Amino acid sequence: MKEQSIGEFEELVLLMVAALHDEAYGVAILENLEEKQGKKVNISAIHVTLKRLEDKGFVISRYGGITGERGGRRKKYYIITALGKKLLDSQYALRTSLYQQIPKISFG
Amino acid sequence: MRSVQPPKYPLRFLRWFCREDYLDEIEGDLIELFEKRVEKSPKMARRRFVWDVVKSFRLRNIRSFRSQNSNNTVMLKNYLKVAWRNMLRQKMYSAVKVGGFAVGIGACVLISLFIRDELSYDLQYPDNDRIYRVIGEYYETGIPDRQSFLQPPLAKALKEDFPEVEEAGRFLSSNLFGAGSSEVRPAGRAQNTYEKGFIFADPEFFQILGLPLIYGDPASVLTEPNTLLISKSKAEKYFPGENPLGKAIILNNNTGNPYKIDGVFEDFPKNSHLRYDFIRTLRGMEFGKGEQYFWGSNNYHTYIKIRAGSDASKLEGKLSDITDKYILPALKAGGQPNAEEIAGRIGFKLQPVADIHLRSEGIKDRLSHGDIRFVWIFGAVAAFILLLAAINFINLSTAKSANRAKEVGLRKTLGSQSSNLISQFLTESLLFSFFSFMIGVLLATVLLPYFNELSGKALTMPWADWQFIPLLLAAAVVVGLLAGIYPAFYLSAFKPAAVLKGSVSRGTRSSRLRGGLVIFQFATSIILIAGTFIIYRQMEFILNQKIGFDKEQVLLIQGSNSLGDNAATFKNELLRLPDVKSATVSDYLPVSGTKRNSNGFYEEGKTSEGEAVYGQIWRVDPDYVRTMGMKMAEGRDFFDQMPSESQSVIINQTMAKQFGFEEPLGERITNGGGTWNVVGVLEDFHYESMKEEIQPLCLVLGNSPQTIAVKVTSSDMASTTKAVTALWDEFVPQQPIRYSFLDESYARMYDDLQRTGSVFTTFAILAVLVACLGLFGLSAFVVEQRGKEISIRKVLGAGLGSIFRLVSIDFLQLVVVAFIIATPISWYFMERWLEDYIYRIDITWDVFALAGLLSVAIALITISSESVKAAFINPVKKLRSE
Repeated sequence: MKEQSIGEFEELVLLMVAALHDEAYGVAILENLEEKQGKKVNISAIHVTLKRLEDKGFVISRYGGITGERGGRRKKYYIITALGKKLLDSQYALRTSLYQQIPKISFG
Repeated sequence: MRSVQPPKYPLRFLRWFCREDYLDEIEGDLIELFEKRVEKSPKMARRRFVWDVVKSFRLRNIRSFRSQNSNNTVMLKNYLKVAWRNMLRQKMYSAVKVGGFAVGIGACVLISLFIRDELSYDLQYPDNDRIYRVIGEYYETGIPDRQSFLQPPLAKALKEDFPEVEEAGRFLSSNLFGAGSSEVRPAGRAQNTYEKGFIFADPEFFQILGLPLIYGDPASVLTEPNTLLISKSKAEKYFPGENPLGKAIILNNNTGNPYKIDGVFEDFPKNSHLRYDFIRTLRGMEFGKGEQYFWGSNNYHTYIKIRAGSDASKLEGKLSDITDKYILPALKAGGQPNAEEIAGRIGFKLQPVADIHLRSEGIKDRLSHGDIRFVWIFGAVAAFILLLAAINFINLSTAKSANRAKEVGLRKTLGSQSSNLISQFLTESLLFSFFSFMIGVLLATVLLPYFNELSGKALTMPWADWQFIPLLLAAAVVVGLLAGIYPAFYLSAFKPAAVLKGSVSRGTRSSRLRGGLVIFQFATSIILIAGTFIIYRQMEFILNQKIGFDKEQVLLIQGSNSLGDNAATFKNELLRLPDVKSATVSDYLPVSGTKRNSNGFYEEGKTSEGEAVYGQIWRVDPDYVRTMGMKMAEGRDFFDQMPSESQSVIINQTMAKQFGFEEPLGERITNGGGTWNVVGVLEDFHYESMKEEIQPLCLVLGNSPQTIAVKVTSSDMASTTKAVTALWDEFVPQQPIRYSFLDESYARMYDDLQRTGSVFTTFAILAVLVACLGLFGLSAFVVEQRGKEISIRKVLGAGLGSIFRLVSIDFLQLVVVAFIIATPISWYFMERWLEDYIYRIDITWDVFALAGLLSVAIALITISSESVKAAFINPVKKLRSE
């Protein structure tokens, strides 16, 4: 199988899913991302990204229970898969190794 | 804050488009966000919610509509397939259904085109809704006398006295004043051409209409004396490819008074009540001394344009001021003894310009009009024919229901709902309707030229009109649904158990309804047939009526005023031709459309007492009575060549009667201008259409040189006209001869009658055709249903006659009932139609007997083909299949 590729926003969302472990659903991801990034994100962008990640096998999902909140609609929780974790790891490793090759430059 | 709900419609939209398995997550998240945001600002929260919904509307989230409804598509395909197979299996019935429908639709399309054209008249003027024609009324008894011929100074007075009137203008079309027709040639050419369509008009009149000018300045055209405007088509005829502005035109050889072309206007559209080609200015014109300021004559058509926002009916109410301010003083000044009483009878009305074409019944204006009643009649006929066709459809569909009953039963058993079956049968009738529309429109296209001849129009199929095809499609859907709705409910209501057991095998349940519908069809047909008979009888009556003069073999030479002083010589030369019996010079002819006038006559010395006798005064020459073959009731004809004859007058019987003359000969009458001795009384003759009563008329000797009537005795008209033409060319080489025949002009007066006749005939035939198609289908069905019965009867010895009787008697009963219903209705309507004619036939019973017999015969012939077939069939064939 060909190596799966991943875009920048997808990577951010996947990181968020991993970070929020077991508590990751649309609104939570949105709020945390907005807080960390300091800029507005549209919820539907997150939804689409999550679907795409799920299609690619980086996350799996499950439904929460029905509550009185949210108009009676269930939350959909996402958990990162082993494949997803491996991808994050390899991305991290790649970036770290590249980062360390940067010579010491002074921006004085 | 829990009470604040997310916006309803966006949420509903989300639920509609979103995939079921995504909905929990997306809707939940959106609502959660909304609930959080609402605490800060409800307004912002709503806005953000809507925006989120919009952003969520993406391909990935949209549910698949196709997969969900796939069953419907499959079923629709199945319905169409079954419908198609049924259509093919029963070719005859399908042909009757589609054929009848197509005929009905064809007729409807044609009639709709006709009506559309009639309703489109005079809508093209820029300020159409502010333009009115002024109508003068004169109340005596009953219905006021209405006319559009009005006083010369009226337009000016309207403009000056009423601030609501933005512009007022007149035109003059009477040939008494030289409008109507003229001999035309551009200055510098020798050859005259005869042209019609001349009027005199004020510049204001032209501005009111706002016809676009191709050349010329709209603000100043016609303001100078001796200017005229010509239409684009005439400009191209006389000045091809050049700008004719400022060119001179010679009218009627009057070289001393040329007209300067002041502008070229776009031709009046075909759907305009005004159709003129030459507009001469009224500026500087005066027809008689002081005529333009005279309130005692009525010749001008007067149009006004009111200011935007002013109320025409209020203005109309104030128009009586005109009578008080101008007409009453004028009457008094004229020495009228009962001036107040007469003025009290005069009134004015305003008629919107768009109403002139269709709603001018009873208004004398000498324009040719459509008739709103015709529009109604045509519309009703179209609707009826379509209805007849729809009835065929319903009748045949329910009659043939037996064949579909098993299908319905089976479908229901397999889980079909009534609603599914209804939509199946509606689909089927839509299919039929579309087929019929295609054929019907094709039919209409093919028959359009014939219809144009019939209706006297130049209609075309408006394919280029963007609304046309969608309109047709919409009509096809509506008609299909309407015709299909009863059969659909009827068929879908079968009980599966009963049907499959075989107990509902006959389509006879609704036979009473079918009977009613057949009666309706035949009643309509009989009404139209009887109407056709009556119209034709009336036509024959009029054309063969003793008209009081001899219209046969009279040649009319027009434009003879060009002969000038040579007229007498020409006449003498004419008389020397072998076949010419006599000839007379006069513009006053006993057919409508020729010269007319109106005068008030008094007995000499009684001018100020009592009422005048209003009538025509015709200027003729001494050969007139002879040439026209009129008969003297009393007294003598004019003498030739006697100066004292200028004092003589011949009156008609009506005038003698209205004067109350016991001994008319020797009485003296006057019209204020001249006084004459009555020397003869002419037998009454019809000089206008027989819709009108013969009016008083008198003949005096005088000059009216435009027409020469020639009485010919030869049977070889062609050689005579050739000889006359040769003679004319000697006298007037610069102008080609124009001639016509008196009997043709006479027949033209009754064009509208003949048109009504042929329209009725056509529609009667169509209606009968459609009704017959239906009857044919029904009889075929009955024969099929009773096939076994007929066969058994045959086996038991029934003859051809008794079987024929068996099949036809039911239908004949229906036709007889239809006849009973139709007779009074058609009697009523035809009586109303005949009321228009003063000289008319009486409706007799034989018309209805004939119409009834004819419809029975038609019905019998229609039924017989199937019933004879049934009677001849070998009984074994029907009986062995049990």
